[in-house]
Amino acid sequence: MIEAGTEPMPPDWPKAGDEIRAQNFGPFTREALARYAAVSGDDNPLHLEPHAARAAGLAGMPVHGMLIFSCFEPLIMRWRRDLFIARLSGKFLRPVLAGEGIRVSGRVMRRQDGSRPELILRLTARGPKNDLAIVGEATVLYEIPGPLG
Amino acid sequence: MNARGHAQPVGSDFAPESGADTLIRLPPIRVRTGAGEVAGFLRETGGARTGGFVPLTFPVRWLALPAVRGLILQLIGGQGFLPVQEGQSFAYEHELRIETDYVLDIEARRAAKPPRLILRMAVSTGQGEICAHLETVLRIVPLNLEPAS
Repeated sequence: MIEAGTEPMPPDWPKAGDEIRAQNFGPFTREALARYAAVSGDDNPLHLEPHAARAAGLAGMPVHGMLIFSCFEPLIMRWRRDLFIARLSGKFLRPVLAGEGIRVSGRVMRRQDGSRPELILRLTARGPKNDLAIVGEATVLYEIPGPLG
Repeated sequence: MNARGHAQPVGSDFAPESGADTLIRLPPIRVRTGAGEVAGFLRETGGARTGGFVPLTFPVRWLALPAVRGLILQLIGGQGFLPVQEGQSFAYEHELRIETDYVLDIEARRAAKPPRLILRMAVSTGQGEICAHLETVLRIVPLNLEPAS
């Protein structure tokens, strides 16, 4: 990470209104949910057992919200490698069900050209019917990519 | 707790219908960002991280630690309820590095109306430098349990 106040803004630094090209993730199969449960430790039966999902009033097993939310980081880092994600938040609005995929996209809402350039991003993850699954916001700071970054 | 760690009676003192909010802080927990765990998490989340850093959402894994899971189960109220995530935020001062030790400070607040569990986690180095703050908001959903057949 760089120290604040030491780096100029790059010439291609985004401006408000710029779009982050949408990316597709999934479909998230039952097997993918089981694998995510294993690596995240979130083995809530809601995501793994159809009867638990039914008991919670869902038509099918929902994809882990955090699995969907986790797609925001690769979306941002594939867009630009010169960013440090300082803040990322999201509200989980609708479930995406096992077997479905998502489309994740973003837009620059605000740009701040201070001593360390900063962007505010609006992020969305949409289900197969274009319904909003997660709406998120990120604050990203300019950072010179390292040799492996 | 059952084999999966959910929806078993836990003899909770914090029934979901109880009136006042409840706040519990856990003693500090030491964790390590093991390379194998990070690699598995990256694989399942389409991660774009390189250069020795940990995926941004990786710390949610620590919500599955036995002490944290036990607290969640206790505050949810046991059998007949499941947590459904409705929000998440991360605020990073420094990215987390692979194969590094960290200390977690975790508190959980059980709100009665509406029934929510809010978990807050601070991740710091062994020297006490704060790296990240997380907040996880869980809605507590009553299950429509079918009688055993």
